[in-house]
Amino acid sequence: MSMVALEGLRPWVLQRLSAVYLVVYIIYALIYWLFFQTVTFANWHGWISQDHNQVLLGLFYLAVLIHAWIGIRDILLDYIKPFLLRLLLLFGVAVFLIGSGFWLIKILIVVNA
Amino acid sequence: MSSDTRPKYLNLFKIKLPIAGIISIFHRLTGLLLFIAIPVSLYLLQLSVKDVHSFTTVTDLMLSPLTRFFILLILWSFVHHLITGMRFLFIDLEFFLDKNASRYSAWGVVVIEAIIMAIIIKGLFL
Repeated sequence: MSMVALEGLRPWVLQRLSAVYLVVYIIYALIYWLFFQTVTFANWHGWISQDHNQVLLGLFYLAVLIHAWIGIRDILLDYIKPFLLRLLLLFGVAVFLIGSGFWLIKILIVVNA
Repeated sequence: MSSDTRPKYLNLFKIKLPIAGIISIFHRLTGLLLFIAIPVSLYLLQLSVKDVHSFTTVTDLMLSPLTRFFILLILWSFVHHLITGMRFLFIDLEFFLDKNASRYSAWGVVVIEAIIMAIIIKGLFL
């Protein structure tokens, strides 16, 4: 399997960049909820509804999806050798992740509706 | 000839993996678990922002003895993946490269992880 999309420096860089964003966002959210806010429905709903938090959470899941795609892709390329099975599983993972992305968009829209 | 005594196959039970190798394999394993947990996280997020009642369902789920094992498994996966991942980022920056630094930083990961898990368990369940 030597498709350009499946090798190279770009996924390696993307994996690190998404990882760094995930760490930064988690620290941001943890500090806020551990030290500056009590966990109640009103506080939680208000926080998620804020424009900047919607953007940051959207970026968080975008980073999760990119990170998961590269990670699972690496696992499949390492352990699944038969071409057709590998292609099928990669396709399934892609559908799963893109579907998850649309689900998050729906959640974010409903929160503000 | 010394080459005759080399193993002819990979017997996973005869390989003594160093601690850095063990936490690395678990980085991969926990990554797979977290991948499976993506829709679970979305489902819980969706419930948690719906209304007070659904929000309470989610917080109760965190504390229920039935789901406690899975919540802890996911939380541990998350903590392990995060801490070992940060170690890999340091390795990218050429820290922890020699044998001792690799070993000590790997044990450091285990210690930090145990402390974080103790705090989580204390905070959630005690």
